[in-house]
Amino acid sequence: MQPDINQYRELARRYGLAAIPESVTRLTQLVARQDSNVDDIVRVIEKDPALSARLLRAANPRAADESEYTVDSVESALMRNGIGCALLLAMGTPLSLALVKTFQTMLSLTLEPVEVKQLEALVGEHMRCSIGFAGKVAGRVYLRMSSATARAIAAGILGLNPGEITDNNEVSDAAGELLNIMTGNFKSNLCDAGLDCKLEPPQVGMTDDFETPVEPGGGMERLAFQAGDIQIFVEVTANPWSD
Amino acid sequence: MAIKILSVDDSRTIRLIVGKAFRPYAVTLLEAANGEEGLVVAAREKPDLVILDVTMPVMDGVTMLTKLKEDPALKGIPVIMLTAESGRENVLQIARLGVRDYLVKPFKEDQLLEKVGRCVTLEKRPVVVAPA
Repeated sequence: MQPDINQYRELARRYGLAAIPESVTRLTQLVARQDSNVDDIVRVIEKDPALSARLLRAANPRAADESEYTVDSVESALMRNGIGCALLLAMGTPLSLALVKTFQTMLSLTLEPVEVKQLEALVGEHMRCSIGFAGKVAGRVYLRMSSATARAIAAGILGLNPGEITDNNEVSDAAGELLNIMTGNFKSNLCDAGLDCKLEPPQVGMTDDFETPVEPGGGMERLAFQAGDIQIFVEVTANPWSD
Repeated sequence: MAIKILSVDDSRTIRLIVGKAFRPYAVTLLEAANGEEGLVVAAREKPDLVILDVTMPVMDGVTMLTKLKEDPALKGIPVIMLTAESGRENVLQIARLGVRDYLVKPFKEDQLLEKVGRCVTLEKRPVVVAPA
């Protein structure tokens, strides 16, 4: 084992840093190698029920439930969607973990990952925060929510009632910081796997545009989360090996 | 006497959360929105502790930490990193530069207070009773 890995583990223990699940770290490393054997990737995904379920969902976008899946194995899903979709899976996990943990630690709310179609779709103007990343992998992370949800989040983080938030900049700043926390966590996972990338400054604003541009040759995964009235939509677009 | 803590973060939200955590304590909170501003405030105020973000515009936290540690007048100030990035290279590089501790966002107030309490003595702010 390399000395810096030992040193990092010692520092991580001393600083109390949380680890990304081993399966996700392994998957990111395999995808980063470019010459990885598909069988190795299949084995890692198959060992993790959550990753397998997300991959099969992505491979059967029109299916209402598992009984309608036409692609029903991890291997066939990878063959159909390409190895790039495995990278999206690897990226979505740290994003989800960071989002759920942020709600738990800063808002004392349990945010549950749910199917996108379980939630009522956003209509009209809503808050959209996005951060681009570029390097050995390129793409963008989008966070979408209603303005009421954005206000409730800002109030929760700052320990106020939603009515006490009078400055819209506070709402935007809190939403931007939420995205910063999520993307900081997933960037660490990518960089540790050898997919060095840099984050761009976040863009936060109200929009009625629901288009999510996908990188040429890349893919997109949509995630959704709910805690009571709070509904959050996350989109990750990525093109591995962009350089 | 109140101790001085410098919070360097481009997010106003984080600076507000940090400020709220120290409200019950005899702490003078100084703020800066990037590393460049942070160095100016550190040189002027000589804080007892710096709480430093990594990713910031103008000057990032790693550059500020490097410059802080190169300055004989400032290098003894303990620094706690407060960041969303816990990647191996980041943590190793920052540890080599010399930080006292590392706190990953998201964080709870009590985690911050515990780590700060290991670096400086936090005393409760005296309760002022208004005259009848």
